[in-house]
Amino acid sequence: MTNKITKSSTAEYFSKNLQQVGFSSPLKAVLTTLKEAVDNSLDACEVAEILPEISVEVKRLGAGSSKNSELVQIVVEDNGPGIDPDDIAKVFGEYLASSKFGKGQCSRGQQGIGISAATTWAQLTNAKGAYVKTKTASMRKAFAAQVDVDIKSNTGVVRNKETLDWDKKSGVRVEFNFDGRIQLNGDGGLITYMEGTVLVNPHLTLHYKLLDNDWVHIERVSNQVPEIPQATLPHPHTFKLGEFITHATLFGKISVANFLKTGFSRISDQSIKDFIPKGLPKNLLDKPVTSLKEEDFKKVFAAVQATELMAPSTKSVLTVGEESMSKSIQRLGQVDFFSVVTRKPTICDFKPVSVEVALARFINRNLEADEPVQLLRFANRVPLQFDKSGCAITWAIESVNWKNYGLSQPKGSLPIGPYVFAVSVVSPFIKFKNASKETIDASEELVEEIRRALMQAGQKLSRHIKKEFREADLERKLAHIEQFGPILVESLVRITKSNDARKKKAEEGLKKLLGRDSEVAISELEEASERLSKQKARDAKKMGIEVDQEAEAERLENTPAEELEENNNEKPAAKSTTKKSATTKKKK
Amino acid sequence: MAKLLSIRQLNLDIPKEAKRLAEEMLSDLEKSKRPVLEAVKTSLDNSFYNPKVGFLTAGDKVVRTELNVSSVQKLARVVFMLEILLRNLDIGSVNTKRELYYICKGLIKGDKKLKPLDFEDQIESDSIIDFIGDMLRVYREELNCFANDRGGQTYSQQLVVTETMPDGEKAVVDLSTLGTSPFQPKNRPQSLRLKVKKKIDFCLIIESEGTANTLQAMGFTKRNNCILLGAQGVPSNAVRGWSKLIQEELRVPMYFFGDLDAYTMQNIFRTLKAGSAASLIRNADFSAPEVKFLGVLPEDVKKYDLPHYKVKESDPAEARALKKAKDALENDPFFSDKKNKGLADILRWLIKEKIRCEQQSFFSVDPKDPIKTEKIILEKIRTGRYV
Repeated sequence: MTNKITKSSTAEYFSKNLQQVGFSSPLKAVLTTLKEAVDNSLDACEVAEILPEISVEVKRLGAGSSKNSELVQIVVEDNGPGIDPDDIAKVFGEYLASSKFGKGQCSRGQQGIGISAATTWAQLTNAKGAYVKTKTASMRKAFAAQVDVDIKSNTGVVRNKETLDWDKKSGVRVEFNFDGRIQLNGDGGLITYMEGTVLVNPHLTLHYKLLDNDWVHIERVSNQVPEIPQATLPHPHTFKLGEFITHATLFGKISVANFLKTGFSRISDQSIKDFIPKGLPKNLLDKPVTSLKEEDFKKVFAAVQATELMAPSTKSVLTVGEESMSKSIQRLGQVDFFSVVTRKPTICDFKPVSVEVALARFINRNLEADEPVQLLRFANRVPLQFDKSGCAITWAIESVNWKNYGLSQPKGSLPIGPYVFAVSVVSPFIKFKNASKETIDASEELVEEIRRALMQAGQKLSRHIKKEFREADLERKLAHIEQFGPILVESLVRITKSNDARKKKAEEGLKKLLGRDSEVAISELEEASERLSKQKARDAKKMGIEVDQEAEAERLENTPAEELEENNNEKPAAKSTTKKSATTKKKK
Repeated sequence: MAKLLSIRQLNLDIPKEAKRLAEEMLSDLEKSKRPVLEAVKTSLDNSFYNPKVGFLTAGDKVVRTELNVSSVQKLARVVFMLEILLRNLDIGSVNTKRELYYICKGLIKGDKKLKPLDFEDQIESDSIIDFIGDMLRVYREELNCFANDRGGQTYSQQLVVTETMPDGEKAVVDLSTLGTSPFQPKNRPQSLRLKVKKKIDFCLIIESEGTANTLQAMGFTKRNNCILLGAQGVPSNAVRGWSKLIQEELRVPMYFFGDLDAYTMQNIFRTLKAGSAASLIRNADFSAPEVKFLGVLPEDVKKYDLPHYKVKESDPAEARALKKAKDALENDPFFSDKKNKGLADILRWLIKEKIRCEQQSFFSVDPKDPIKTEKIILEKIRTGRYV
């Protein structure tokens, strides 16, 4: 009886509160549905250790049933392990039916709400749930059916079953038709989602077609399926006292020392010894945990908390890694330069967390020089696209003084420039502000950790920016000589009422003086360009682009100043007029 | 156009000196030698204070600008601006800094070659004008570049001012005949001569011109043989020169009455009494070393239970004033001299207590008595409660 009430209320609750899980507007409905389908595919592939190849198609079918909406079709197809036909009702039609809940893994999905909510939304707005086609490796034919949510009983209902041929070893194709509104660009746009997903999943091959645009094909740059983070033992510093006591009851009649060693990660015999000077009474160690009073637990807990332990296992936190991120970032466009930082996992708010940052400037990405940087936020490798202002990542970026790294930044805002800032937070237990996972809760410790990652990445980035700036500065100085020299002489000649002969002589003298300066300046400029190019070559190598060193060196030598200039064109500080004369000077 | 009145006895023929500098630069260029311009360094680290002199004077430090790739722009701009100023001197034309900024813009617009000289902002052209003044060691007024004569509204029943006009004519102004209108000095106070109809007991300079007007309206100058003037915030050159003239010509006790806060002490009062680091070359004629700080004093806050405020350290302007006050105690020769220990003590008190008290708070002492503030001021003068 109790069981039944719980079940029915779950589905009913969510069907009435879909806004809490990402369906608060037609715009978000499209993005959330897509996100849930893709997340499930990626998670399934990772579990089965299959390199994912996903195709996505988004179409506009006509007007929606509700006001101001359009009927949208989303189709997501993967090459994953497929879902057993007996399970599709649970996966797509039942809330809180998850293989991942509370496991302490960094999977994208956690509770088993998302895809069922997408089915519910389609059902509420278009009277049909999800249309699913699936095939596992052991099936000869594919199974297809429509899955609806029985809201009263929180169970999936499978209709219109059929079996059909599918020339695929295994996989799932899911189709949703529902009311929504499609936005391609901007923070909440589908393209932004696609690019974000591509960036943090180097092992993903993605094909997508949005509306009437052409198919876009993006190949994987890594052939390694991310090792699924193991569900490791919990780290004692992630526990609160109550949890600690409850945890102890799971272990039966074992000694305290054994409980600590087997119930947690990162506690060794040495750590047990270390607990004693921190206030753990030695006589408690051999007592069975079942005999401990609350007071004793408090003492044990306090001593454990006061002792420094190794950071939580890196295995429980999955990261993309600097190398893969470096390769992946160039899939978003032609990278001018970039900087990537992966921080070691650490504990924030009692939870293991790892932060990764990629900052990049692209050569042709339609980013404006005077607009804020494009921000891509990720939580467990899922792009976050709404409510930017309340997010820990945004707070951290705004708290960094980007001027130190050569970027302009209005006070307390995002920095300005044609850059992409990608920040990824990975943790088995990310604290979101709401169930729709749009914003990471901004705790002080987490913001500080993200901030550190950003500052490291900023330092790397600034090497590029400063070198370019020096280059531009030198060019500007050269231009100065050409422009201001003659004005200076002419004014002096007028004030002193001198004749042409003196003017000529002074001009020659000036040329000699400044010529010496410009020779020095030019050689400095060449040196700076060379340094910058070398740095770029190193980065290119890191990104995996083959660069012919000799050819590159030759190219540099022969690069006319115009080209060097072009590389600098985005630099807002440099004026185009001054540059032109710099060029002519250099040719001489 | 008639020749303008000179500010002071200047033993320097500006056009001649400018031509000499230009000649030197040109001949250096002819010899492929780098021309150099030197200007007095106008900053606190080149400021000296001798209590016997009473105002900040310049040390030996200079700003040296030698021709190279980085400085060629500045030198071209200096010579360009110098030419405009020399022309103004030649034809007797005057301008403000903002007007000069636009004159430059006009000239640049008319000649494509000059385009690179263009000033993006008035700050850029101002700094060139200041450099020329510091280089020639002359006042900007001597380069026919004048500022707005802000502040300095003056009331007195005894004072008579004789002004020598540019054409040599003399104008006599008896301040008692102006009705409710104040007399306002120009920033060439050296063309004025002062006379008194009756002995004047003191001169009172009030930070807020509004409060000065209130005192006047309530009959302050009728009851007292005095000169009453409003400073209107940081004293302009006109107010500074005018105060200096009153001090020199009349030798009357002078008092300043303003807010009790770090900004008033350092920026308003210090500038009035001893000039500023930015105007090192002109402090001699534009500061009144005899002026005393009448209040608001820390002791007044206690004695009259004056309403006051906590300094908001979250407010950038107030936080900056406090930080500057700390700097001043360490680096400002005016505040580190023992002659001004009393003033430095007030600064220290302000830094410690972090409060501010406004001059108008005297009106809270007896709200029903409209001349209570006057009574307190007079009592303070009588009993010597000033610094």
